[in-house]
Amino acid sequence: MTQPVANTAVPQPGPLYRLQQKFASTSVAAKIVAGLLILVAWELGVTFFAPKFVARPTNIIAVFPDVITEPEFIEATLSTLFAVLQGLLIALVSGTIIGIAMGRVKVFDRLLNVYINGFYTMPMIAVLPLLTIWFGYEDSARLATIVFAAFFSIAINARDGARSVPPEYLEVARAYRARQRDVWFDITFMSSLPYLVAGFRLAAGRALVGAVIAEFFVSLPGLGMYILSHTRSFAHNEAVVGVLMLAAFGLLFEATMNGVMRRFFPWYRREDRKD
Amino acid sequence: MLNLINSDKRWVRWATFAAGLLLGLVIWEIVGWSFNPAFMAPFIGGDGHPGAGTRLVAFFGDEEFIDSFASSARLFATGFAIAVVTAIPFGILLARLTWLRISLESYILVLYVTPMVALIPFILSIMGFGFWPKVLVVVLFAFFPILYNTLEGARSVKPELLEVARSFRTSELAIWRDVLIPYTLPFALTGVRQALGRALVGMIAAEFFLSTSGLGEELMVASRNFNMASVLATIILVTVIGVILMRLAQSLEQRFAAWRGIEQ
Repeated sequence: MTQPVANTAVPQPGPLYRLQQKFASTSVAAKIVAGLLILVAWELGVTFFAPKFVARPTNIIAVFPDVITEPEFIEATLSTLFAVLQGLLIALVSGTIIGIAMGRVKVFDRLLNVYINGFYTMPMIAVLPLLTIWFGYEDSARLATIVFAAFFSIAINARDGARSVPPEYLEVARAYRARQRDVWFDITFMSSLPYLVAGFRLAAGRALVGAVIAEFFVSLPGLGMYILSHTRSFAHNEAVVGVLMLAAFGLLFEATMNGVMRRFFPWYRREDRKD
Repeated sequence: MLNLINSDKRWVRWATFAAGLLLGLVIWEIVGWSFNPAFMAPFIGGDGHPGAGTRLVAFFGDEEFIDSFASSARLFATGFAIAVVTAIPFGILLARLTWLRISLESYILVLYVTPMVALIPFILSIMGFGFWPKVLVVVLFAFFPILYNTLEGARSVKPELLEVARSFRTSELAIWRDVLIPYTLPFALTGVRQALGRALVGMIAAEFFLSTSGLGEELMVASRNFNMASVLATIILVTVIGVILMRLAQSLEQRFAAWRGIEQ
């Protein structure tokens, strides 16, 4: 039986990990049948009750190869992906520094905590008009949205991670007169890594949403814009491929993070709840 | 001095916290005054530099703004209520029908991680402008966090309890009332808390991208007119509403948390 941990984000396996577990452990047949039933219901529902342009599975499959080889689609995907990665990198570096500083230095924590938490709760979509005024209707507005979306969850988790450093480690380090640099990098940073991974996972999802919203709002070339312009011209099947691409990014990212967690921090894997 | 700052005395903590708030406000005020009012507004403000805080207070006497607020509130309440009354019973039903839960849960997880914003253009194109498409957006944003968490609860219902209930020929109603609901409700409330934040985003997204109305419209119009005081005031208002709703949900969640038992 584990001790209840108060209010801190304990890194835990994400939805995809559970999904993999489920696929491995329970009857796959039931899932496949249910999936097929959903697809059939979608197909029939659209055929009989919806206008012709509405997407349905058979048409999506038909357009799928064309869309993913289309230069416009590839360009849009790369544009969004690149912006998300760039924004995540900025947020990761700055968020980690500020978060760890807050976790280890009490004054920073007391001064900044209210702001970090406040901005974290702020719906990022409401900040969008502000960011477009400050950064103009161009790429940098999208980048700013992504950084804003990602920064605060990384900082909050880095803070929790730095606070979770076992005090004995720090005492031992002091007893052996370890250098200040080693205390920061080898002890504080290393032991907050799992929290950083958890924060990064959360941030990545938010960053993707931020990128799409910014593209809608600022009309930048990217996956969000691809979806928007194709639904506007009633090419819903092509647009659905864009949505699938977004979902795939989300799942791919989850899978990578789970792999990292399992490979490098196997001791942090929490036991799955028994069914 | 350093010892005093780092001490854990209550008044030191509060003093640092207050100093942080004050420092933030002072910086905001200075930044606000030193930029063009079309670019940044101070908090209190004055001649030529309208302040965001002052505007926020003025909003409460502005009838047009109160109308927008009411329209947003109606959208949010309708969408959220629909999400709650559909997702929770569905989640509990999944606790009762294990085969249905096993076959559907993977798909629910996939939908939970899919960014719902990407579906807004489809809703616009299929359903057009009006009140109900916007409600649908809010419902979509709120539905899956609630369902996903209720599902977690559904998985935690012990099969032995259902077996015992069955062997004592318990009525269906009693099973729901005494086993299923107490087990899943605390989890559902966690979902409700998560969903509040998402539904707020959904509400503003719907008001931006579908027919503009409510607080979203206020934000749009203010930003088009470079009325920074109003933009900032509306953002503060939305954030404060979010924080208040989240706190309410949290206290509700804590009230029922005991039902989760020792395992949690």
